[in-house]
Amino acid sequence: MIRLEGVTRLYGTVKAVENLSININEGEVCVLIGPSGCGKTTTLRMINRLIEPTSGQIFVNGQDISQVRPEKLRQSIGYAIQSVGLFPHMTVGANISVVPELLHWDKGRIARRVEELLVLVGLDPREYDGKYPNQLSGGEAQRIGVARALSADPPILLMDEPFGAVDPLTRERLQVQFIDIQKKLKKTIILVTHDLDEAIRLADRIAIMASGKLIQYDTPEVILSKPADKFVHDFIGTDRALKRLSRIGIENFVRVSPSIELGASIGDARSICKRCRWVWVVDKDKKLLGWIDRASLAGAVSVAEAIVTVDRDAVAITSGATLKEALSRMLSQGLNNLPVVDNQGYLIGEVTLGDIEVATKETGV
Amino acid sequence: MLLRLANRDNVAVAGSLIGLVSLLLAWLTLKPNRIAAGTGLPIWEGFDWTGAAIIIALWITSFGLSLAGKKRPQALGLGITANVIIIVSFLFTGLSAARLLQQGSAAAARVSLGAGFWVTLVGAYVVIFGARHVIGEPRLWKNLIAWTGLSVTVLLLLTGWLNNLSVMQEFIGREERFLQELLQHIFLFGGSVVVGTIIGVSLGIWAARSRRTEKPVFYFSNITQTIPSLALFGLLIAPLSALSFSFPMLREIGIRGVGPAPAFIALVIYSLLPIVRNTYVSLRQVDPAIIDAGLGMGMSRRKVFRKVEVPLATPIVLEGVRIASVQSVGLAAVAALIGAGGLGWFIFRGVGQAANDLILLGAIPIIILALVVDATMRAIIRVATPKGLAGVSQ
Repeated sequence: MIRLEGVTRLYGTVKAVENLSININEGEVCVLIGPSGCGKTTTLRMINRLIEPTSGQIFVNGQDISQVRPEKLRQSIGYAIQSVGLFPHMTVGANISVVPELLHWDKGRIARRVEELLVLVGLDPREYDGKYPNQLSGGEAQRIGVARALSADPPILLMDEPFGAVDPLTRERLQVQFIDIQKKLKKTIILVTHDLDEAIRLADRIAIMASGKLIQYDTPEVILSKPADKFVHDFIGTDRALKRLSRIGIENFVRVSPSIELGASIGDARSICKRCRWVWVVDKDKKLLGWIDRASLAGAVSVAEAIVTVDRDAVAITSGATLKEALSRMLSQGLNNLPVVDNQGYLIGEVTLGDIEVATKETGV
Repeated sequence: MLLRLANRDNVAVAGSLIGLVSLLLAWLTLKPNRIAAGTGLPIWEGFDWTGAAIIIALWITSFGLSLAGKKRPQALGLGITANVIIIVSFLFTGLSAARLLQQGSAAAARVSLGAGFWVTLVGAYVVIFGARHVIGEPRLWKNLIAWTGLSVTVLLLLTGWLNNLSVMQEFIGREERFLQELLQHIFLFGGSVVVGTIIGVSLGIWAARSRRTEKPVFYFSNITQTIPSLALFGLLIAPLSALSFSFPMLREIGIRGVGPAPAFIALVIYSLLPIVRNTYVSLRQVDPAIIDAGLGMGMSRRKVFRKVEVPLATPIVLEGVRIASVQSVGLAAVAALIGAGGLGWFIFRGVGQAANDLILLGAIPIIILALVVDATMRAIIRVATPKGLAGVSQ
């Protein structure tokens, strides 16, 4: 989809980007990452010709972009930046309409598109359409920035630290939303960040750059498990085992585990515990209530008496979570086993510390 | 009570105190003739006791209100009181001037406004200024309070109510001249600001666009601003008279060393700095990220300028034009010295004849003109400020 061939950009004698060749596949999220001054933003801005390469060629859909008029090229590539750059004198709706208007869409189509995009980024169109940027929170402004970048439904999206200027909590929400939107839209996205966790979370492929050169370009899994050289190794840091876990979903590690209903007999509980040491207790709707283990069984005459109740939201983890989240919940709750629930809150099994350990060993970290 | 005092409106308190002090000064001056020194009359002799009592009562009310707290109702009360003070003062001035002239024996006797009257006006406007701030929205009340007193005064002037005042006696018989100089004044400052805006905005854009022009442009406009106005007028006389001497055609269209031409040019030069500076700042303060976003979305450079930079810069540029206009209204008065005419003509003629009232005939309209120009420009700026940008220009 996008191909850079031997691209070099000089500033005086300084090589901002040096002989960079990279191929970005259609529908993939490619994250450019590296220390500041590594040339990642320059690379991004060369793709929509905000910066011209000193030498080398860039192809989008097989076409050499130096042959395309910059305005036309940019209208077909979405562009979102860290400081958002919303036009302060225009309403949210007008901001999103800029590119469709440049493309001479008719009014009705633009209005429909604005509404559609506001819904997509999770903002109520009736409330937000007429607002001005100075009435938005940082997170809302970022989302409008993304909506604006998507306005003309471009196949390619360039994003320069799009979640950089917001607090960590908002950033995480925006990232989750980003993953959601990308699942639906399947755009080709090039995203610049200096946040490795963000890169690992969002990327299909990560391009690690240093002093204008591409050091390693691969999937997050490979980069974490087989760093190309010492630089990448150091850049990833010593906790790459942990980072690795954030790429692995728990769904493959869920074990079927015994459970009994609150109304079951204490004898059943005893017999299961003899086999398995503990048993989850659920209500009639299969919602988690707590557990029973050998210690709590001692002297109890009913399941209700033996149960150790738990705060369902704090303990149970949903099947869509990652192993990293599971691990961190185990540590914070002091448990070796976590109950796993589906989106409706029904108990579907458990995940154990032992399995996570095995997972880290298997992937060779 | 103590709590209320702690929460008083300090601006209004100061204005009220000024008003109360004014009651001790002479309100009207009775002169045997146009240029003689007169005798000052305190308020109870100048106005009769009724007038004095009303004004004293009003000022005490104002003082009381200003101590009563800094809330909207008090502010409205203060604003209304101050306007009533202005109107009542002028009403009684008209009555009293007629009465004093009838009593007086000398045919050439004049009645003019004394220090007390002027100080009361100052006090009233200080109160109004404070009240306006507290009132806030809606704009209607703010404007009513700011302009009612002045409008009624102008109305009184037009109906002839104040014709017995010596300033008006200077005016009567000079109506035609007054109108002519007023128009000349408006032409001088208005024309020069229009030309200054065209040149200034262009220079400002040029300076904001290129680092090389930035310095010389500001060097030029800063330096001209430091030259005293009279000196600049003088400086222009020599080259212009040389020009008109060598090109008689120029003389025919009115360009000579003295007269409106050098004055006009000097006023244009003075209006440059605020306009150039504000244009430059207005373009430079546009967040580069906004321009980057515009270009990145595929707007052409010209479109970014027209659709983004111009709307964002306009309020600040207009603010520069406002400063230049108000400044130019005042500076145009000096232009009379080199034969350019304008309201300054009355001022300098009055100085020459030691006739204070003639000076006032020039000075008062200049002040009113400046106030009107200022208010008009502020209104224009308000309209031109894009929604969503409120609070940036003020």
